[in-house]
Amino acid sequence: MTLWRLEWLRLMRTKRMAALLGVYVFFGLLGPLTARYLPEIIDRFGGDITVVVPDPVPADGISQYVGNASQIALLVAIGVAAGATTLHALPEMSVFLRTRVPSASRLVGPRVVVSGAAVIGAWVVGAAVAWYETAVLLGGVPVGGILAGMAFGSVYLLFAVSATAAAGAVLGSALATAGLSLLVLIAMPLVGLIEPVGSLLPSHLVGALGDLARGGSATDYLPATAVSVVGSAVLVGLAIRTAGSREL
Amino acid sequence: MIRTRGLRKVYDGTVALDAVDLDVPSGAVYGLVGPNGAGKTTLLSILAGLRSASDGAIEVSAPPSSMSMLPDAPTWEPWLTGREVVDLSRTLSAADVPPDAVGHALSDAGLLDAADRRVGGYSRGMLQRLGLAATVVSRPSVLLLDEPASALDPSGRREVLDLVRRLRSAATVVFSSHILADVQEVSDHVGILDRGRLVFQGPVGDLLAAGSAPAVLVRVREHSGDLAAALRAHDWVTAAEPLDDRVVRVRVDDPTRAERDLIAAVAATGLPVTSITPDTPTLEDVFLEVTR
Repeated sequence: MTLWRLEWLRLMRTKRMAALLGVYVFFGLLGPLTARYLPEIIDRFGGDITVVVPDPVPADGISQYVGNASQIALLVAIGVAAGATTLHALPEMSVFLRTRVPSASRLVGPRVVVSGAAVIGAWVVGAAVAWYETAVLLGGVPVGGILAGMAFGSVYLLFAVSATAAAGAVLGSALATAGLSLLVLIAMPLVGLIEPVGSLLPSHLVGALGDLARGGSATDYLPATAVSVVGSAVLVGLAIRTAGSREL
Repeated sequence: MIRTRGLRKVYDGTVALDAVDLDVPSGAVYGLVGPNGAGKTTLLSILAGLRSASDGAIEVSAPPSSMSMLPDAPTWEPWLTGREVVDLSRTLSAADVPPDAVGHALSDAGLLDAADRRVGGYSRGMLQRLGLAATVVSRPSVLLLDEPASALDPSGRREVLDLVRRLRSAATVVFSSHILADVQEVSDHVGILDRGRLVFQGPVGDLLAAGSAPAVLVRVREHSGDLAAALRAHDWVTAAEPLDDRVVRVRVDDPTRAERDLIAAVAATGLPVTSITPDTPTLEDVFLEVTR
């Protein structure tokens, strides 16, 4: 039994992996569907009001997925990450682990990597489902743009999980950790309204998949990617340092 | 061997440990006793590296990797099985220990039948024994056990104490407890912490011998007050107090003199005697005297 397997079991036995996959795949299925049938939905529920919407294009299916994934699915993702990375949520378990490893990096590393991989994996599977369904209902989307968009979204989620790990090391409660992480991630796009800061922030990567599906340029997202990668490394370092020096 | 010199810990102006000079010989079972809030858990946590000392020096003749600590209420993720908990401990602390040591540790803790059940369904006593199994599986040379038998029923306590006793000489064990009978039963050395200060430490026998004046209990059928009054007349009797109508505790300044003269002195009273036994002080008696 290793710490890596411990994290795998955490995902599987607590059904967190199922919850992640369920929510991302659900929105992967729902996004293209709502984009394709939006005019019919509005006609059915709009009553006497006439709403004119443009005919859907393939990128709309992907954008719908991104919109849902960056809100409700992100909530689930942060909850899963907070549950895994808040090392001292069970203080007695922490005593057990901390007295058996030479460095907190051995404890924090697997938690961040495994929960991050699970969140990113679910995001990618959901995006692949949305891509396939979009192709069936609305038409094809360029492969390059989709793959690059998935990668940029993955970098954002890596940053989100790293931020959660840092918050968890400081706060020590999974609920407070999830709350603070969400607050930071929600506040970031608001700060991003200030240009040119916005294009540098990790939150800029959230819309990359939808934008690239419409033919946007991948180079627009490189600065935010660099900031996110460096920021993730700093946050994980902070999590390790704080977790290792926390008194139990 | 564990040694601290001038160990001090202050929390927000409150002194939790003050000038603690701990000496734990190698291979000893060292009982750390003291009332709640005396600083036992703080001391163990500092030794384990989980808290930092405000001042002082610590010397442990074992690398951190061969030191294990068991908290007073061990808890694990409820979805792990007992076997997985012990195996995780083995993998983290001593990967060179063969996997079959997991089964042996669980068996010694009496948990082999429950080994593949999830620990969320374990009782408090089972968790405590699982904690000991997870602690000993890696064969540490220093074990720090914080109240390992607290909140257990008598049979659970017995099993835990037997496990601790079996560790003697295989490892240096420091275990804290406020159940003094437990400490007296399994420890060879004892330290008494009171309000952050180590007020006594040494072999248990020395503490018991030094902590109380020699005394004898004399039991009669009745009129213990008359017996006490008669015994007080002897110059070698320092005190004679009736504990009830049938028992008198006699304190003497010279045990040899008591052994020679007490029976005759009691017989001279003419009262019917049922027994004369040494009144051996317990650790509890000494503890109360030292911490008074």
